[in-house]
Amino acid sequence: MSSLVKDVRQVARGWRWTHRPLPPRSAEPHHSFPEFKEFPTDWARSRAAVTARQAILRGGLLPLVRAETTLKVAGLDVLDDIDGPVIFVANHSSHLDTALLLTTLPPRWQRQVAVGAAADYFFDAWWRAVGSALVFSTFPIERGGVGLSETPIRLLDEGWSLVMFPEGTRSPDGWTRRFRLGAAYLAAQANVPVVPVGLVGSYAAMPRGRNWPRPGRPEVHVRYGRPLRLQEGEEPRSLGNRINTAVATLLDEDRSDWYAAALRAAGGQTPPSSGPDVARWRRVWASTASPTTRHRRAKAWR
Amino acid sequence: MSRPGFVLEVDERTPPLLLHSGESFRLQEFPLGSRVIYPPESLPGVPDIDEAIEQALLHPIDSEPLPELLRPGMRLTIAFDDLSLPLPPMRKPDIRQRIIEHVLEHAARAGVDDVELIAANALHRRMTPDELKAIVGERVFRSFWPDNLVNFDAEDRQNLTHLGKTEKDEDVEISKRAAESDLLVYVNVNLVAMDGGWKSTAIGLASYNSLRHHHNSHTMVNSRSFMDRHNSQLHSSAWRMGQIVNEHVKVFQIETTLNNDAFPSQYGFLTKREWEWSLRDQTMFLGAKRGIDLMPAKARRKLFQSMEAPYAVTGISAGAVEPVHEETLTRVHRQQLVEVDGQSDVLVLGLPYLCPYNVNSVMNPILAACLGLGYFFNMYVGQPLVRKGGAVILNHPVPWEFSTLHHPSYVDFFEEVLSVSTDPKVIEQKFEQQYATDPWYIHLYRTSYAYHGVHPFYMWYWCAHALDHVGDVIWVGGDRRAVARMGMRSASTFADALEMARDTVGSSPSITYMHSPPHALAHVK
Repeated sequence: MSSLVKDVRQVARGWRWTHRPLPPRSAEPHHSFPEFKEFPTDWARSRAAVTARQAILRGGLLPLVRAETTLKVAGLDVLDDIDGPVIFVANHSSHLDTALLLTTLPPRWQRQVAVGAAADYFFDAWWRAVGSALVFSTFPIERGGVGLSETPIRLLDEGWSLVMFPEGTRSPDGWTRRFRLGAAYLAAQANVPVVPVGLVGSYAAMPRGRNWPRPGRPEVHVRYGRPLRLQEGEEPRSLGNRINTAVATLLDEDRSDWYAAALRAAGGQTPPSSGPDVARWRRVWASTASPTTRHRRAKAWR
Repeated sequence: MSRPGFVLEVDERTPPLLLHSGESFRLQEFPLGSRVIYPPESLPGVPDIDEAIEQALLHPIDSEPLPELLRPGMRLTIAFDDLSLPLPPMRKPDIRQRIIEHVLEHAARAGVDDVELIAANALHRRMTPDELKAIVGERVFRSFWPDNLVNFDAEDRQNLTHLGKTEKDEDVEISKRAAESDLLVYVNVNLVAMDGGWKSTAIGLASYNSLRHHHNSHTMVNSRSFMDRHNSQLHSSAWRMGQIVNEHVKVFQIETTLNNDAFPSQYGFLTKREWEWSLRDQTMFLGAKRGIDLMPAKARRKLFQSMEAPYAVTGISAGAVEPVHEETLTRVHRQQLVEVDGQSDVLVLGLPYLCPYNVNSVMNPILAACLGLGYFFNMYVGQPLVRKGGAVILNHPVPWEFSTLHHPSYVDFFEEVLSVSTDPKVIEQKFEQQYATDPWYIHLYRTSYAYHGVHPFYMWYWCAHALDHVGDVIWVGGDRRAVARMGMRSASTFADALEMARDTVGSSPSITYMHSPPHALAHVK
């Protein structure tokens, strides 16, 4: 009997609840990707699912975010003048980011937004796929070089806005990584504006490896920027660069003020969002510092 | 698309890995950083075997097409590999059957009456009628058995011909019928790189008088390895003998290569990479292991021995021996070769239930040693997987068990010879002649189903290169008395074996595990 238990334990070590095997690192080059079969998420955008999600976001997640973090939102007024769907593009350093974006959007936008999520992470097990699709309105994006899905462009055509994190994964040190051009190409193809979003403090609040914000209600800022549109004759690659700069400007604005950041942006002197070229610990050190509110309320009585 | 073989480096993601151990298998965890050599996945077989055979016979390499070599009134001999190939035995119809049938179709069309089929078993045991039938098929068996379908008898002095001596004074003595034929067609199964070429005729159809020139401790120590023809003294000798054979008889060689489908589909987990096991594979592993462990020994052996491999044929070449064999080697390498970077301190091998000499029989301790230190150790080209003075850890129960029907001389060899010395050179000088000429063993070889009296010596010589090269041989789970008789040590667990090897290789040795079968041939740079 004990040998059977031992055998079962050893076999269980190779068992994954997900469908995808986890090859040892040295075997990865030989791992052939199975044919891309997209997890169906249309049900998560049905009227019933939207209603359920609204209830979860507004009744559960938003109070939770407010209880666990000190949330500051700026720039939502940019959405007032836009009618159609947009692509929200944000820097990405924490699982908190999606929750911050979704809970801070006005209800009109919240009802019709879908979030691009890594298929190999969020959709590798059915329970995780169902959960994230229901609560965060996610749809799968293959980041392993498999063919591009038709889903994002179809969603934009149907009037759904998208949330995309063009870095492809969470930042390992809080600073942004290279932006991929998928969002820019998508915006060009669907002819929709891109709304840049700067997320500050989420790395300090809940970095990789944590699944709950650290105690003490850390400060997090969500800053929406002016929409960017593809100019006449402009290449998507150039739009991609502008998106990158726009997010960097929002992060700069958060550290200083709108006008100073605008001046630096106009002079092409916006500090790169990829951070300083210093030792890794110093990069991590800088991004784990909680953002402080620069614009303190003016005292009426001095 | 078949994925190539590769070398895995064990990391924290690596699940326990499958390890064969005689008539069982288990999962074994390896230390982080260990290297594991995985054979390439199975290559696709030829789409139409009959067409491939005809193509080979009608468009041979450096030879006239077969029909042009056949004429009425000629003496045609068809020799073929015995049941030691392939392993496990191939699912029927055997490729030899299909080829022999094609050759016979041509012979019948040409009006050849004098046809004889000889199993090239050299000093291996005779095959039973059923075993012969399994290889050549019912139609051939019914047409030729028992007069013209025979096992080769290397002790039938009347039916041996001494063809001469090589430039190194090696006797070339082979089957008289083969030597005096107008055409000798040889049908082989080239499972590993060691098989085929002149080894087929110059060894398979040879007598002790001829075999003793290369089946000896000196040649074996200097065959590095048997799987690398150009660096194997065994093969150099066979090739020299082949030239003499070639001067006397026209040989039409037909060589076949197989893919790596060594196990039936229900045992698919044996050939799959462990991190890719599905729930079905895991269930099958647990069920099969549990079932096998609980089974009575007899039933377990029957189950394993009845296993037939669904091999696919990856190619057939025919014509002159040497160019045909070069083509064959290319195909074998394509299926089995894995590039490995450098040697390691410890080589780990899991030995399965079967070696070439215990088909339908018992794997005794000498055969287990030969399988590990003779065959698996030699699955390299370049240099051995383990460094000089390193340790080899073998996994096999090494039961003190012999088949008195098939291996009578092994029993005496184990009791009398190994108890005096385990040094191949010493036992060769002191005991070989006595066993090779013992009339009782010769009688059993000729009339029963016994391996020749000298055969256990050859098995021990196969180990000579490994015994000369490594500093320590440890058997995990091996019968202590049997292992000690062979001058080696036994450990209860893999961890214990590593602990025991500390004196030889230190406390943090580099480890390479050869994940086989199916076969991988390591090209060690």
